[in-house]
Amino acid sequence: MVSILKKAIMAVTGLGWFVYVVLHLAGNLLLFKGPETYNAYSEFLVSNPLIIPAELGLLVFLVAHLASAWRVTRENSAARPQPYLERVLSRRGGTTSASGWFSTFASRTMWYGGVLLLFFLILHVWMFKYGDRSGAHGLWGLVVRSFKNPWISAIYIAAMLPLGFHLSHGFASALQTLGLLKPRWYPGVRRLSQVVGWVLAAGFILLPLWALLFAEV
Amino acid sequence: MDFILKVWRQNGPDAPGRLVTYEATNIPPEASFLEMLDIVNAGLEARGEDPIAFEHDCREGICGSCGMMINGRPHGPGRGITTCQLYMRQFKDGQTIVVEPWRAKAFPVIKDLVVDRSAFDRIIAAGGYISINTGSAPEANSILVPKEDADLAMDAAACIGCGACVAACKNASAMLFVAAKVAHLALLPQGKPERRRRVLAMVAAMDAEGFGNCTNEGECEAECPKNISIAHIARLNREYLRAKFFSR
Repeated sequence: MVSILKKAIMAVTGLGWFVYVVLHLAGNLLLFKGPETYNAYSEFLVSNPLIIPAELGLLVFLVAHLASAWRVTRENSAARPQPYLERVLSRRGGTTSASGWFSTFASRTMWYGGVLLLFFLILHVWMFKYGDRSGAHGLWGLVVRSFKNPWISAIYIAAMLPLGFHLSHGFASALQTLGLLKPRWYPGVRRLSQVVGWVLAAGFILLPLWALLFAEV
Repeated sequence: MDFILKVWRQNGPDAPGRLVTYEATNIPPEASFLEMLDIVNAGLEARGEDPIAFEHDCREGICGSCGMMINGRPHGPGRGITTCQLYMRQFKDGQTIVVEPWRAKAFPVIKDLVVDRSAFDRIIAAGGYISINTGSAPEANSILVPKEDADLAMDAAACIGCGACVAACKNASAMLFVAAKVAHLALLPQGKPERRRRVLAMVAAMDAEGFGNCTNEGECEAECPKNISIAHIARLNREYLRAKFFSR
């Protein structure tokens, strides 16, 4: 498939997941409100007739994002079979582009971070979507009791680091790939991308942290 | 000035290569990097050794021939210059300088620091031109071009096809080069009749050469001797998606 189309698919599906992740955080902050509100929200979602199409849509977006990423990453490493013996990136060389873009840890690790997020996603869906909600306080109880296990909390907190990095490059990069940015917006959108990525990561980290330290089951 | 050079030596496309250390002595600070290599080569030839092969032509920063990786940077340290515009006074006396060819599957090494950049020519041949009958120049004001468009097109047209963008990109992507050529012509009225056909054909040719995909890092722009903006890559993407998905 044509390079620009692969990148456009990555951008559209990535932005789709970004919107979902924002909604997912907004909804799950209801964890703080206690079992009744949280379980009612969960019930509202699963009883909604749109839930199946939405989930299928997310799955299609995920598969398309992953397939494009796989192809792009393979092609990119094949495009330079012999690496440089010495390479100084623009930021270290002190001459970053006038546009304000430069290679970052986040931009160089999109594939690896994405794969980590995929493993986390599988674990996360298995634990909570298909977990046993029949105990006390239903889903809220399942989530809070799970996070009371410091190991599970640690995994959840650690998994948000790749999310922060992935979004801090991905958000701005997707908009640039789709050609939606004016050049004078570049520095602002790059900063926004980092803020958005790390605010979302921090928001999700609050959930296990609160459950571990403050919640009473 | 004296320098220790570590230069990539490779006899042919399929021959194994390695870094060879040379001493460059009594180099005037006002010598360009290419002139420094000339001095080193004169010494090698005097000793009956094979001189270091490197590509060069205009030596005034407009032909795009002299690209090489100098201390890990395309065209060496500094912004907006080609290798021939890099002067030895930029380096410290006694400094070690590592010189490598561009590294990309689409740019195979011919010898030492010379790579085959004809992949760029094939991309241009796919559509990087306008089809008009040549002849005497038309009346200048018969086609009006807004100043803003002319300026943007000129910024893109400054591309000299040196390949520093490919060399700088971690994915060896040629997007900045193709973007500059597509943008230059798409912005001008003379280029508009063929803009759809052009962008589709040039992107297909780019992909066929085995360049990587753009991941929006901007390292290409940082090393471009003509400071071509990655805003043109966004323009290329818009041109492509428009040609692909929207009717006339």
